[in-house]
Amino acid sequence: MANLKKLNKMLHIFKLSLPTTKMAKVGSNSRYLYKYAIATLCFAILLAANILLGSVSIPASDSISALLGNSTPDYVREIIWSFRVPKAITALLAGLALSICGLQMQTLFRNPLADPFILGISAGAGLGVALFVMGSSAFGIDISSSAYASFGMAAAGWTGAMGITLLIMAVSSRLKDNLSLLIFGIMSGSAVTAVISLLQYFSSSASLKSFVLWTMGSFSGLNQDQIYILTIMVICGLALSIYNIKDLNALLAGETYAKSLGVNLQFTRIRILTASTLLAGSITAFCGPVGFIGIAVPHISRMIFKNADHKVLLPATAILGAAIMLFTDTVSQLPGHSTVLPVNTVSALIGIPVILMIILKRKMQ
Amino acid sequence: MIKVVELKDLTLGYNKVLFSGINATAHEGELIAIIGPNGMGKSTLLKSISSIIGVMGGEISLFAKSVDSYSHKEIANVLSLVPSNSPRTGNLSLFDMISAGTYNRTGWMGSLDEAERQNVLAVIEKVGLERYVYSDSSKLSDGEFQRAAIARSLVQQSKIILLDEPTAFLDIENKSLIIKLLKSIARNEGKTVIFSTHDLPLAIQMCDKIWVMGHGGFFEGTPNQLIEEGVFDTMFKDSSLRFDKKLLTLL
Repeated sequence: MANLKKLNKMLHIFKLSLPTTKMAKVGSNSRYLYKYAIATLCFAILLAANILLGSVSIPASDSISALLGNSTPDYVREIIWSFRVPKAITALLAGLALSICGLQMQTLFRNPLADPFILGISAGAGLGVALFVMGSSAFGIDISSSAYASFGMAAAGWTGAMGITLLIMAVSSRLKDNLSLLIFGIMSGSAVTAVISLLQYFSSSASLKSFVLWTMGSFSGLNQDQIYILTIMVICGLALSIYNIKDLNALLAGETYAKSLGVNLQFTRIRILTASTLLAGSITAFCGPVGFIGIAVPHISRMIFKNADHKVLLPATAILGAAIMLFTDTVSQLPGHSTVLPVNTVSALIGIPVILMIILKRKMQ
Repeated sequence: MIKVVELKDLTLGYNKVLFSGINATAHEGELIAIIGPNGMGKSTLLKSISSIIGVMGGEISLFAKSVDSYSHKEIANVLSLVPSNSPRTGNLSLFDMISAGTYNRTGWMGSLDEAERQNVLAVIEKVGLERYVYSDSSKLSDGEFQRAAIARSLVQQSKIILLDEPTAFLDIENKSLIIKLLKSIARNEGKTVIFSTHDLPLAIQMCDKIWVMGHGGFFEGTPNQLIEEGVFDTMFKDSSLRFDKKLLTLL
């Protein structure tokens, strides 16, 4: 733009000028293909980094031969295949799912502050997990036996998330506009959170600790079966989200106009809510309430791709979400150190400055 | 002439009666203004005709068929609504914004084929925004954005176009631009255009018919008829507000 102005100054002598369009072009077809290419490349690099780096330093050549199935020391194969690859897949799925869920919530509510959990999905999942953890200890069941605990917590979390979504769906058919739905969602989330606090207040310190650990988020500890279940849920949610694209685009024109276009708003809401339970509900159940990604990535992809069309935005958000989540997870592992930080703290510490920087930069322009 | 819209003994409202006794018809190719004080239910009437909200009594017919017998999709095929202050979306190109009007005819992804693309481009040219096809629609001026919103409903290819205060917040030049556009849509394409406005002089000058929703009740007529009958005097609560015949013709 600056160059174009300079050029125009020079051309002015010859009474010529290039059209300095006062408005930037958006949404023309060829312009974002290279952005997809770069985003996919970043994703691939971060995926590789996530698998190659970890608490235990393994030479890259060993890791790669372990991945290719060549002969390597047993401990390397064990770390790569039983620990790092499942964790990378979980992080990838979490980033993708939470981001496209956040995107749909932001469009549905026309609210840049909406995130996957705005309708209380994480609170619902939290209630399920809290009841499971505290109930187990009340019945004298040992929560520390990991197979029982992780699967039970996931199932309880998913049931909780599903429960609150069903409640909101049931109410949503009686609500006239999306703003009322938003208020209802936030209120029921707060109510559930209050119930969780009450449960925490009366629980033993051991079960309190396992609950708090769940709220901090983690991508490790999922076994093969759990990853299969998670993958299937996320794929179903993704498919439904792709099917939602047309209605999401219609919603950009406002609810009233969307209705007059022939959009069946009740049905659209239910489809978006179902997608968000499949995506955010499943991730939260298995990995805990992973914050920040769902709200930030849609904004980042809007800024990079400069296109509000969901046909462009949804795949962009999916790729960027997966890439950013892999990055966050790699950092939280503190490569080379034996300590591992909770994902939630890292995602906030990395992400918030990024978002603030982008917002401030935009304001100054 | 075909009766495109017919309102019989209509009572508007939700829980509480807002306005009652509406009897009116609209024909093919007519440009009709709805005039009345704030809060009388002009927007409600437009939303009721588009079946977005229900009515308390009476009947609305589109093409001699009750509006209740239409499905969501069928309504959108015969009628489009341009709501007042449509929201703007950042980074949405004008082309993408206007293609939303094709919703009813596109497949599950909403992609446009070449014929539809040409159709959208032709409509953009019709409203005079061809300079901005791939520009950010949220950065258009108020007048341009209103034309874009009208273009979006033209793309819908419905026979009836309803507009809620399309000239609000616009300067005189843009107002007349919009009204001329609406007039040409009605005249040249045989569409029925009904819009609400507070701009009485413009309505009297340009419209075939005016629907008056005032404190004195509902009236329908050509601008001259209504002036003769002194209907505009009964429109407001304050009876000292007189719309002198001379004054109105001067305007």
